[in-house]
Amino acid sequence: MKHFSKGLFVGAVIGALTIAAPLSQAATPQDQLVVGTSLAQVLSLDPQQATEGKAVEIMSNLYDRLVASTADGKILPQLAESWKVDDKGITFTLRKANFASGNPVTSKDVVYSLARLLKMDQAAAANLKRVGYDKDNVEKLVKAVDDQTVRIDLSDQVTAELLLYRLTTTTTSVVDSVEVESHAVDNDYGNAWMRTHSAGSGPFTLNRWSPNELVILDANKDYMAGAPKMRRVIVRHVPESQVERLMLERGDIDIASALTASDLATFQSKKGFAIQRIPTGGFYVLSMNAGNKYLANPKVREAIAYGIDYKGIEKTIMGPYGRARNVPVPENFEYAIPNPDWHLDVEKSKQLLSEAGFKDGFSLSLKTIAQTPRIDLATAIQASLAQVGIKIDIQQGNGSEIIAAHRARDFDLLIPQTSAYMPNVLGSMEQFSSNPDNSKEANNAGNFVWRSAWDIPELTALTAKASMEPDAKKRGELYVQMQKMFVEQKPAVLPLFERFEPIVLSSKVEGYVGHPSQLTRLENVTKVETQ
Amino acid sequence: MKELSVAEFGRRLAHLLVSLFILLCVTFVIGRVLPTDPVGAIVGELADPAAYAAMRARLGLDLPIYQQFFLYLNGLAHGDFGTAVLTGNPVSSDLAQAFPATFELATLAVIISTFVGVPLGLVAALFRDSFIDKTARVVALVGHSIPVFWFGIVGLVIFYAGLNWVGGPGRIDVFYEGLVTPRTGLLLVDSLLQGETEIFWNALGHIILPAVILAYAAMAYITRMTRSFTLEQLSQDYVIAARAKGVSPLGTIWHHVLPNIAVQLITILAISYGGLLEGAVVTEIVFSWPGIGQYMTNALMIGDMNAIVAGTIIVGFIFMLLNFLADVAYAVFDPRMREAAR
Repeated sequence: MKHFSKGLFVGAVIGALTIAAPLSQAATPQDQLVVGTSLAQVLSLDPQQATEGKAVEIMSNLYDRLVASTADGKILPQLAESWKVDDKGITFTLRKANFASGNPVTSKDVVYSLARLLKMDQAAAANLKRVGYDKDNVEKLVKAVDDQTVRIDLSDQVTAELLLYRLTTTTTSVVDSVEVESHAVDNDYGNAWMRTHSAGSGPFTLNRWSPNELVILDANKDYMAGAPKMRRVIVRHVPESQVERLMLERGDIDIASALTASDLATFQSKKGFAIQRIPTGGFYVLSMNAGNKYLANPKVREAIAYGIDYKGIEKTIMGPYGRARNVPVPENFEYAIPNPDWHLDVEKSKQLLSEAGFKDGFSLSLKTIAQTPRIDLATAIQASLAQVGIKIDIQQGNGSEIIAAHRARDFDLLIPQTSAYMPNVLGSMEQFSSNPDNSKEANNAGNFVWRSAWDIPELTALTAKASMEPDAKKRGELYVQMQKMFVEQKPAVLPLFERFEPIVLSSKVEGYVGHPSQLTRLENVTKVETQ
Repeated sequence: MKELSVAEFGRRLAHLLVSLFILLCVTFVIGRVLPTDPVGAIVGELADPAAYAAMRARLGLDLPIYQQFFLYLNGLAHGDFGTAVLTGNPVSSDLAQAFPATFELATLAVIISTFVGVPLGLVAALFRDSFIDKTARVVALVGHSIPVFWFGIVGLVIFYAGLNWVGGPGRIDVFYEGLVTPRTGLLLVDSLLQGETEIFWNALGHIILPAVILAYAAMAYITRMTRSFTLEQLSQDYVIAARAKGVSPLGTIWHHVLPNIAVQLITILAISYGGLLEGAVVTEIVFSWPGIGQYMTNALMIGDMNAIVAGTIIVGFIFMLLNFLADVAYAVFDPRMREAAR
């Protein structure tokens, strides 16, 4: 029994220690920015591999690109000091800059990075492959003229302006070729190493990435535009929204993203916090499988468009997450057309169904990721469509299940979300209006429209024409035509709501400007003392 | 107990290995037939089919399932759990990193629940149907029926956000990150070893709330069982004899009842400990605790089968091992078993 008395003693000591434990410190340090978010989808921090939003946000601070874009879509110089556009291509002049390793940034690194992107040939490569660059032609089209000059020839599928936009994404980040090559194993272009390390010239360097725990970025003191104001940026994985909210209130994090609508609402008019609604240029979409015997009929698709209570859902569910919009171009973009007259009209919807020969309605399944706000959106659509006689069976799943079903055309209805890859009509709309080969054999699972089996040769041709039109005014006219045609064809990829990513910031944080393509840079973020 | 016990030991060990193999098969098969898509998770939603197929081949998912299984077994035989999709590291090194966090939490929880639950159960039995017994029963019932998730959030609201008594989610405050070199992986131990008392207190402030909440759920069970074991003993003749001899109630418990229920208690504690090690998933998510539970949940989300199978095997192994140890303890501590062995 001696063991028990000894045990009791130990227990008492632990109890006493607990009571005597000092209060934990609140508030994050003044020179460190702490961001709470979900890092569950971050699988790699190699810019020529990763395309997931959170990873992009981190990488855009580790690496520079030739050019950058502002939140409202202007192209700015970054590593390129200036550039000249001619009929055949673009010539970039690099500024003097160093990588965090101390190696100078040269045209050789730029060529290496673009070749690396296309030769690794992962999802990130789609950005340039889609417009005619590939692993076989990259060395012909991208050349180092001298140490400070890079020449990129146009492929026959892109205009100079659109190419510049594509060069603003993190996939074209310029990496330190010397450093990366020193870590290459089995011809992997250093990918294994690069997933968890950084070799860039950006304002921060990667100190540590512990998956599902945190990412620590350290300021790059030698950054070409001067050292960032924050000595360190810590991105913490906080999977629970309620917990994230408590941490923000307590001051243990400065910025909270990935909050649920109800937690977000508590900050609506709370002193000391601000909500920033970052536009994504993307949409919450109702994808209908046009291979389904009901949904193949444009009248049925129109009936569905008239069977959803957009305004009601916007008010009760979407809140800060979305704004009703049925054209896949945000209303504030240049050349965006006004919304069509789709709204909840039960009579009209029923009439369209009976015209289509389905007076008594039918049943469909609706697949969605079990995630705010899409899961609530699914329930609302179910209630809405029940009124017109379409019975919906909701099937929830995790991300990979739902995406796999989408890619395999294995669904009736599905709620995906999109984002714009560049802030203009083409950037947000192309994925809704281009499907070069609808055949099952084409297996073009990366194409959003193909997944819905929606055959749109005319619209595809028009989209291709617009993307090759060098004259801005003529291109604008084509943009308008594209949108009109999209609406006329009663889309099988029906945009429901323009998508926003709301985040909450402590009012101590200044200079944080959320970028629509998650290219938010943090070098100018500061923290101020509050009372 | 020598001869028979060796055979018995061997038999139980064989049981353990067979169970483990069955567990492995089942997990593997379930994992491969689940409609998750690790390839999609890696290459991204917009990848073209060629890139998709290439990654599929790289992960070996294009092979028939039995070949995948043999390849996997072959890897296991060489101590290779495969590579995790999520981290790109060998699964074994991921688990080695995540396990200490869970181990630390579960161990602290089992210590707390033992040192509160056992005395509470004894007292409750001793003063049966008294106020204290009824209170203990209510406390146990609440601990057993209210989900850990709810306790976690409420605990954070009160003790973290409200009273500021404990640290928030995570193992440590952010500005202490990376200051302690991991040796055992247990932050409380490592910080003390390196003389970082400030970090020790900080880590303790972070672990105490999740540990207490986990302990509470386990304690409910321990209290209830201790109470019923003790009640059973209290009605035995030897207790009446001891009391008649003039031994005090407390003395009876201490010297006569406790040794008699010790064996059963060990089993209960082992089961609770096993449950804590594998059942901390919800707690780990609420408290952003980078342990096995969280690791496995994320692996499940993207269908990262290597991580899931390895994690399941580890957790299953621990559970079986604890059961096995409890069985052995039974044989060692139970005088009847010792007698039979002779």
